[in-house]
Amino acid sequence: MKELTCILILLPFLAALCCFLAISSRIRSFIVLATGCILIASSLLLISYVPFAFSPQTTFGVGVHGLIQVPDFILMFAILYFGFKHRSLLVIIPAALQIVLVTWFEVFMIQGHPATQAFYCDNLSLIMVLIISIIGSIICFQALPYMKNHEEHLHLSTTRQPRFFFVMLFFLGVMNGLVLSNDTTVIHFFFEATTLCSFLLIGHDGTETAIRNSVRALWINSLGCLAFVVALMMIYQSLGSIDMQQIIRTPPGAGLSFLPLALLCVASFTKSAQFPMQSWLVGAMVAPTPVSALLHSSTMVKIGVYLVLRLAPAMQGSFLSQCIAIFGAFTFLAAAGLAVGQSNGKKVLAYSTISNLGLIFACAGLNTPESITAAILLIIFHAITKALLFLCVGTIEQHIESRDIEDMRGLYARMPLTALITVMGVVMMIMPPFGLLLGKWMAMEAAAGNIFVIILAAIGSALTAMYWARWAGTLMSDPFAGKFTLEKQSAVTWAALLSLCAGAGILSISVPWLYAGLFTPSMTLNYVPPYTLNEGILENSYGVFAVLPLCLIAVLGFLQSIWAVRGATKARICSPYLSGIQTAEPRVFVGPMNQLVKAEAGNYYLSNIFGEKKLTIWINLAAGVLLTLIVGGAL
Amino acid sequence: MTTSQGILILAGLAAGPLLGGLIAGLDRILTARFQSRIGPPLFQPFYDVIKLFGKEKVVVNVWQAFCANAYLTAASISVVLFFLGSDLLLILFIQAVGAVFLVVGAFSSTSPYSQAGAHRELLQMLCYEPLLIFVAVGIYLLTGSFKIESVHAMDQPLLLKLPFMFVVLSFALTIKLRKSPFDLSTSHHAHQELVKGLLTDYSGRYLALTEIAHWYETVLVLGLCSLFWATNPVGAILLVGITYFLEIWIDNVSARLNWRWMLGYGWAMGMSLSLVNLVWLYAR
Repeated sequence: MKELTCILILLPFLAALCCFLAISSRIRSFIVLATGCILIASSLLLISYVPFAFSPQTTFGVGVHGLIQVPDFILMFAILYFGFKHRSLLVIIPAALQIVLVTWFEVFMIQGHPATQAFYCDNLSLIMVLIISIIGSIICFQALPYMKNHEEHLHLSTTRQPRFFFVMLFFLGVMNGLVLSNDTTVIHFFFEATTLCSFLLIGHDGTETAIRNSVRALWINSLGCLAFVVALMMIYQSLGSIDMQQIIRTPPGAGLSFLPLALLCVASFTKSAQFPMQSWLVGAMVAPTPVSALLHSSTMVKIGVYLVLRLAPAMQGSFLSQCIAIFGAFTFLAAAGLAVGQSNGKKVLAYSTISNLGLIFACAGLNTPESITAAILLIIFHAITKALLFLCVGTIEQHIESRDIEDMRGLYARMPLTALITVMGVVMMIMPPFGLLLGKWMAMEAAAGNIFVIILAAIGSALTAMYWARWAGTLMSDPFAGKFTLEKQSAVTWAALLSLCAGAGILSISVPWLYAGLFTPSMTLNYVPPYTLNEGILENSYGVFAVLPLCLIAVLGFLQSIWAVRGATKARICSPYLSGIQTAEPRVFVGPMNQLVKAEAGNYYLSNIFGEKKLTIWINLAAGVLLTLIVGGAL
Repeated sequence: MTTSQGILILAGLAAGPLLGGLIAGLDRILTARFQSRIGPPLFQPFYDVIKLFGKEKVVVNVWQAFCANAYLTAASISVVLFFLGSDLLLILFIQAVGAVFLVVGAFSSTSPYSQAGAHRELLQMLCYEPLLIFVAVGIYLLTGSFKIESVHAMDQPLLLKLPFMFVVLSFALTIKLRKSPFDLSTSHHAHQELVKGLLTDYSGRYLALTEIAHWYETVLVLGLCSLFWATNPVGAILLVGITYFLEIWIDNVSARLNWRWMLGYGWAMGMSLSLVNLVWLYAR
């Protein structure tokens, strides 16, 4: 397993470097494909070794902690450099402060090599490694044809793909390092590295908006890193440890105050783009779509939820934990509301990510075995489904040159398979028996004991159904082509889309086994497995979810409905009802006084209720108050 | 699966078309009497559906066929799960699947009537779904479980402990059954500004499927009402009968409200009443 850990963390770095140096795009594609395949294989092989912990023997008696010192400072100075380059005080100040604090921490507080396990992998880490390695790799694969089209479209004289794939692969390595590390200073290093990676990726296209949004991402996340460092120092002050496992095994309230934990949560919220720090993620959509897919599904935003879930045992039963639950539920509702008001497909996806992460935070905050199970399920299925949807939108965008939902009206006529896969993605977002809904169901039942959380979650859930259903309906709208002619896409794109779609479906069916195999063992720390498993039915004392029977019925219902579609292809196709005499032209009818009238229909976006301009300021304010409550309440 | 479960599944599957159709027939007779008409025979809804099945297949978009079928499947499963005494939230989620498919089917036609109807139906769902979840949470807080079987195990009717939740449920019922003043998306009153909205472009057998699915949904929501007096079958029937009679009465005496009013009333009233009732239970 040491070798596997090594491959999972170091191979992406090496491959990234090769990508950067490779001149030929063939070689680059080969490197990306090979690295992705090896990562997927190693992450799957890792399953049989979990749980494990080890500290590698390194040369010259320097442990991992010592080894990352130099890169850590290089990293912080790099961020400082970018701050000066873009003349942003907001970046410079936190970066400089952080350099001072880390130096102080390393030189005057830790002094030498503290005894910690460098790497620790339990089921939570394993699930994260699988998500990062498998979904991250699939996104990188799809980026190959995407970036080729992207650069052709931009008419670039020299390709910028070496830099792009360098950062993409580097990101995967950093993420694997983050979730496998146990030494909090090492986690901090990787935490910081993801900030830099996302900055480079968001600004990749080099346009004015791209630069502006990337700098915004940099300063917001730098503030998060700063909170992280301060929290580490406080923890070291009271516990004398930088060992994550030791920190979370400290019983709540014994020796460790809640303030550093609250700060770590705030750092997580910035990474996961919770209100009021959401603007960096919403702005990140200027980047090429594979970047959005990577940030939203398997990397960046998942760090926050991972960390809070990791810290959950240390907060059990505390006021802090309750506050996080309410904060998360509020974000779930508020972001869903903002998504309703958007017609830009990528923005809908962005707000839906923030919303779903809010629900995961709410689950982590509720901190019961049921809610933790729900959170892990939501992480897994959100990663797959969101990656799928982003890749779909990217593909659609390159085809129709728009990301507006209104322009996707009747997409089925132009790109039937992509439209169908997108609708499938939407269905997996909101409908049983798919995993995401199962997670939401568990979350709601776990939240029923908390009146604020359940009220926020119930309304948020209804809003969520609304914006997804609207989108799916728009995609399937006529003009109906009549014949199914497959659109042209590269094989890699089809493979990526279909594998994610099939993966989400198959995983949803196998949730009972997933639960028994992956979740139950991870519940050892203060949590008992909450559900009993009987013939594919998950049940506890107050709820029952018949996963397997429902999947079976869903498959039968789906086949029967498809059969009905087959029957309908023989039916007479008529034009929609328009309250007048139809003409040969679509959507034009003969109205009063023999005048031709063109019928138009657009979606409701209710922007005077759910518009960004109307809502954002109030949501940020409310979220700010809740954050103050979280930090202040922990004092 | 035991024999009793098999019987319950069959009963659930039969309840929709039989019971739901009869309720629809009664509804039409009562409505007619309110309007000083005699009204159709009791079995008219069945005749209508049978006649629709015999019509030529005409579609605007083949996906309408998919959606109508999926709607019926989801609606029937939710009723079956209800009969099996399954999880309340699960039943609500599956019921929502059907509702979403009906909307997607309406979206698949570009007729402005369908589109406006579909959007309004989404707003109706937005209004009633949280209310139904609040009702489920209320039941959970009282019985300690989301499973319907635990309601049957109670020795006292829920109505006594959850009176406000019942009001919330009847509010959701009015929206779900698309009774005036909340018949925004599709209506059976010909004087409304948008009459068939959502259902405009469903025709023939596909319209018949949505009709049967609606019967299932009626059975489901009335079944939810009956849970509030589950200790005694007579009490349950009386409660459901009175509630439905009031629904029809309100349907005939009130004018349509727009969606702003619906969301405003629905959420404000639904939430405050639920909050009062839930806090009451929490405080216990």
